[in-house]
Amino acid sequence: MIKEINLDNVLPQVFAGSENEPPVKDSQVWLHKITFSRPDNYLIEAESGTGKSSLCSYIYGNRKDYSGTITFDGNDISRFSMSHWCRLRTHALAILPQEMRLFPELTAMENIQIKNRLTDFKSETEIMAMLERLEIPHKANQLAARLSVGQQQRVAIIRALCQPFNFLILDEPVSHLDARNNATVASLIIDEAARQNASIIATSVGNKITIPITRQYNL
Amino acid sequence: MSKNIVWRLLRKNISAAQIAGYAIANLVGLSIVLTAIQFYRDVNSLWSKEDSFISKDYMIISKKVSGLNTINSVMGSSNSKTNNLNFSSNEIENLQQQPWVRRVGNFTAAQFDVYASMEMGGRRMATHLFFESIPDEYFDIQPDGWVFDPATPEIPIIMSKDYLTLYNFGFASSRGMPQLSESLIGKVVLDVRLSGNGLRDTYKARIVGFSSRLNTIAVPQSFMDWANARYAPNEKIQPSRLIIEIGKPGDPAIKEYLKENGYESAGEKADDGKASYFFTIVTGIVIAVGGIISLLAFFILLLSIYLLLQKNREKLHELMLLGYSPRQVAKQYYILVGVVNMSVLILAIIIMYLTSGYWIQPLATLEVETSSHLYAITIGAIIMAAITLGNFIAIARTTRRYFNS
Repeated sequence: MIKEINLDNVLPQVFAGSENEPPVKDSQVWLHKITFSRPDNYLIEAESGTGKSSLCSYIYGNRKDYSGTITFDGNDISRFSMSHWCRLRTHALAILPQEMRLFPELTAMENIQIKNRLTDFKSETEIMAMLERLEIPHKANQLAARLSVGQQQRVAIIRALCQPFNFLILDEPVSHLDARNNATVASLIIDEAARQNASIIATSVGNKITIPITRQYNL
Repeated sequence: MSKNIVWRLLRKNISAAQIAGYAIANLVGLSIVLTAIQFYRDVNSLWSKEDSFISKDYMIISKKVSGLNTINSVMGSSNSKTNNLNFSSNEIENLQQQPWVRRVGNFTAAQFDVYASMEMGGRRMATHLFFESIPDEYFDIQPDGWVFDPATPEIPIIMSKDYLTLYNFGFASSRGMPQLSESLIGKVVLDVRLSGNGLRDTYKARIVGFSSRLNTIAVPQSFMDWANARYAPNEKIQPSRLIIEIGKPGDPAIKEYLKENGYESAGEKADDGKASYFFTIVTGIVIAVGGIISLLAFFILLLSIYLLLQKNREKLHELMLLGYSPRQVAKQYYILVGVVNMSVLILAIIIMYLTSGYWIQPLATLEVETSSHLYAITIGAIIMAAITLGNFIAIARTTRRYFNS
């Protein structure tokens, strides 16, 4: 269980030495003290190349190329063991990567189930219901490689929701979706987050997900 | 949809050719090892199991019979019972002091006349015989019925296998008489007439075993003591043959000592040792070759696993991000390696079984009891367990490494 995520003086190593230049100079995140606490929702507004995906990777424990400290409820995440991360990624922390990371050789349903079998969180009926809600039930048995980017994005969103989580990190969740699909995706995410009393941390370079935001930061 | 999505994902890059190459190589290696072990155990019983009464660590010695000895005894120039074919107390003592000697036992010869007869196929055969005995403690295993009780006297006899061979292949075949097996002989009851000291009695006797190391007609020491006291109470002689328990078999000093003193050891059992030794060496080489093939196969699989994991590196990383633990991912490869290795082991055992059929028949005609396959199977299982364990460790380490990177 994670109640609170803290960023203290965090800076990607690539920005070391350019602390007084943009984008670091103007950032409200880098080199600042920031707290994400449940069940508030946060939006990180950014331009390309400001380290938005890096931030998501740092919090998800995927990358460690930063200075400063990130803590979950006061515990430094750089000291977490592999097995602790496995537990967090199946029970507390969900992510939608910007590049989706679906396995092209598996079908949409298999891509979702590969996560769901691990967490045993949703039934096949529930997954089908979510696919229907996002209007792609007919794509369930199609290989991910054959899906359009927008369809892939929706499959990846459903996969991210197939686990218990306290924080849901969405890296540009609607970059490939039109306004109508943005709304359907947003309502699905809001429902799931509300049911789990969880926080959403979303990033955006322009096309924002239409969820109620507690606080917005410019990266 | 397949039950195991992870496996569907990871199996994509598996090279069937590499796995098959490994399986065949390891099968060849393991089959050679198992077959050689089984062959060694079966054939080795030719030497080790043939004579269970007295083990290889015993040697029977006597003095060389030279022309002079013979003349002396024929001419009666000295008392034939104390001639120098017998071992004197000094000689026995000297022998006992040799470093390779653990203990020395005397052969006691019967000091009375033995006349045996038997009924066979309606014909009565009779012959003069002699008896000898050695102390019971020199027997590794005492044959069934190796006791003598004066109250119900029946004399158990162990006979040299050579005598049976002589009879079967020399005497019986030329005279048109039936050939006898060991078990048949055991059923025949002999009438033995002992005489001496003015007494003459007839007893039943039975051949309870054949020995290839004890080249005599042996009776229990208890019977010999009783009979010598009864039929030859006043005779006292030095033994002409000694049984020696050797502390260091194969010690070259033994041969030297025997030569120096003009003794000879009975039979050429030492050569059995040489043949057995040579056989052990050859089998050892064959097992080593099989072992090396298996070892190389092990490295082929190891290499194949490394390549496979390397190709799946991206996928492993993705699975990690989904929350899979290294163990959950490695499990898929454990199953693959486990199934392949188990199949190889089972096939190797089958091949060993089938191959052993080629020598079991010939060995059976030599009346050698072949040993069970359990030993070879256990060795095979241990080798395979070691190989599998090595593979598992490699998989676990590599998966962990890719997860951490």
